Amino acid sequence: MRIDRTHRAWLIASLIILGVATAIYVVYAASSPAGPSGGSAIGLTFGIAGSLCMIFAGLLAARKKVPVWRLGRAQTWMRGHLWLGLLSLPLILFHGGFKFGGPLTSVLMVLLIVVVVSGLFGAVLQHYMPPLMTTRIPMETIFEQVDRVRAQLLAEADEMVEAVCGPLNLQNVARAPRARSAVATATIATTDTLPLCNFYSRDMRPFLQQERAQDRALSNQIKAAGSFQGLRTLLPAELHDTVKNLEDICEEERQLRRQIRYHHWLHGWLLLHVPLSLALLLLGCAHAIMALRY
Amino acid sequence: MARAKLTTKNLAQRIDLEYFKHPHPFRRLRFILSVALPVIALLWLGWYALARNDRIYSGGRMSASHGVLSARCSACHVAQVGTFSARATDKGCDTCHDAPLHHANQLFTPSCAACHAEHRGHPRLAVTADVSCTQCHANLHTTGAATHFTSDITRFVGGHPEFAALRPGGVDPGTIKLNHAIHLKHNLRGPDGPVQLECDDCHRTAKPESRWRFGSNTPAVEPVAQNAIPPSMDPSRAYMSPVTYAQHCAACHGLQFDARFQEGVPHDTPDVIHAFLLQKFQKYIPGHLAELSVTAPNRNLPHQPIPPPVRVFTEQQWVAWRVAESEELLYRKTCAQCHALRFAANAPLPSVAKSNITQRWFRHAVFNHDTHKLLKCVECHSGALTSQETADVLLPGIATCEKCHRGGREAAESRCFECHTYHDWKGEKRVKGTFTLSASLRSN
Repeated sequence: MRIDRTHRAWLIASLIILGVATAIYVVYAASSPAGPSGGSAIGLTFGIAGSLCMIFAGLLAARKKVPVWRLGRAQTWMRGHLWLGLLSLPLILFHGGFKFGGPLTSVLMVLLIVVVVSGLFGAVLQHYMPPLMTTRIPMETIFEQVDRVRAQLLAEADEMVEAVCGPLNLQNVARAPRARSAVATATIATTDTLPLCNFYSRDMRPFLQQERAQDRALSNQIKAAGSFQGLRTLLPAELHDTVKNLEDICEEERQLRRQIRYHHWLHGWLLLHVPLSLALLLLGCAHAIMALRY
Repeated sequence: MARAKLTTKNLAQRIDLEYFKHPHPFRRLRFILSVALPVIALLWLGWYALARNDRIYSGGRMSASHGVLSARCSACHVAQVGTFSARATDKGCDTCHDAPLHHANQLFTPSCAACHAEHRGHPRLAVTADVSCTQCHANLHTTGAATHFTSDITRFVGGHPEFAALRPGGVDPGTIKLNHAIHLKHNLRGPDGPVQLECDDCHRTAKPESRWRFGSNTPAVEPVAQNAIPPSMDPSRAYMSPVTYAQHCAACHGLQFDARFQEGVPHDTPDVIHAFLLQKFQKYIPGHLAELSVTAPNRNLPHQPIPPPVRVFTEQQWVAWRVAESEELLYRKTCAQCHALRFAANAPLPSVAKSNITQRWFRHAVFNHDTHKLLKCVECHSGALTSQETADVLLPGIATCEKCHRGGREAAESRCFECHTYHDWKGEKRVKGTFTLSASLRSN
């Protein structure tokens, strides 16, 4: 979600609430003989307000489970999640008087800080990365289907090369070391197509097969362009279309790899944010119950 | 072979339309973590619950003095019968502390925790915020008659009144005639020649640190016992011990009464001195009967009969004569040099005014000379260098205190508790302990 002018109302409301809460806290802290305490009336009010913000933020996950229910627009929920979740941190800090307290409250404070900071990090990524992806990954596909598409690209490239060089000994090529595979393909290739067969079996196919082969020349757009240009000089003109197609497949492969990388950035923080949020809400309930006792 | 154009349709055909039915490893990992972390949190809470240990719910580290009770919440958090609540109340505090009230006529009595905030990790619970005091003293009212205390104290620096003794009309009530300026002059005549007196030749705390230069060196308490107490815990270091004749004056100000005797009279009441003199002369004269014949001094006073050149006393007459002469010397000169004496019309002996030396100027505050020992005495008591009258109050003013106790990180403590105590400890009652060591150290 981009943080644009549609957030202005939430921003202003959050700033007003924060300002009022800060003013109340300053007066309260200055006039409390024993200092601010979570157990005082004002401290409890801050705690309840902060908890409600956290609960609302947590309800976003539940809201996503029932997208067809008429519970307000998803964007509104997301904006509320973002701003009220952010507001919960200062409110809870006011609740605790900027002290972490005992074991449970310390864990809660650390969890809250990590959750809010990871959420902010995610919000920044969600703001900046989608446009970046649109620019840099025009061939973007559904993330869960990346492996399937990559397999299709490999099959497509195999088909193109086999059409020129004859059947590839795929098992040998896939398993054999570089020199042996070159020999294996060379036995079935004519002199004209030999450079293409060698290039494909030695460089391109391993690149398409191995997701993590970042060190290969084809991983780099400029180096790849040089490799394909060199290949064209070794091949007759009628094979240049095939080379162009293979170059396009490599470009698509690079974009899919970039998509995987960006996806990990774009959603990786959720591995921290979501589980810790659930633990925070659970431990927060325990804290609230035991605070009633003590 | 030409590659098929990448149209939207072509791209869509690459996708397995039921892909969402197969969980992706990323989503699966997020789900596993979302279950695992709350479960770990529950196990953590459950572990302490099974151990019947509520320490994880503690609001923070206990103060140093209550640290031993950290594992035993119920020592203070007494569960109330029939309710879920186990809030710490004053009753829990009273089990060990009988902290008396501040004043009987105060408007309200705050709870213990209102000032002494526990679970904050403070090393000292006595460290309280100024607002604990100023909530009343900034606008002081009582349940009784109007108070004579300053009623608008808001803070120490700039908001505290001058010390009572230094306000207009304040005098030192002492009756001992002491001129500080003279005593601090160079080349005073000492017992063994010229001396330069220092402040601590007369003013020291009760802690015997070194020998008195001009007085008795009998320690007030056993040195071994004193040395066993660390300075910070030794209350005898706080206040100056009272100046006494024996320790501080005797070496220079002798009480000689007659050239026949080296020793002086005891520093005591006129009755005791009179008895001493009688006894002294009565013992002396039997061995010196020749002195019963006294050659009268040449006193040709007008209109007075010329006394016989030689007078012969009986022993009783001689003793009475010498006692009278000695008392005349003592009470007209020696004693009167320091003491205020009053001669009643028919009384044979004068009465000596009480010395009224003020040992503790701050009646409602505490002060510790030992913690200020890094300073020269005259840095605070600068008036001592020029004071000539006993009535001069040589107490430093509050402005002197504020030079160091001005608040902030790079200054000495300036909060109320540094000098004042809320509780009127005169009314403290003894509390009988109820805990046992094993119970105190065991978690509840």
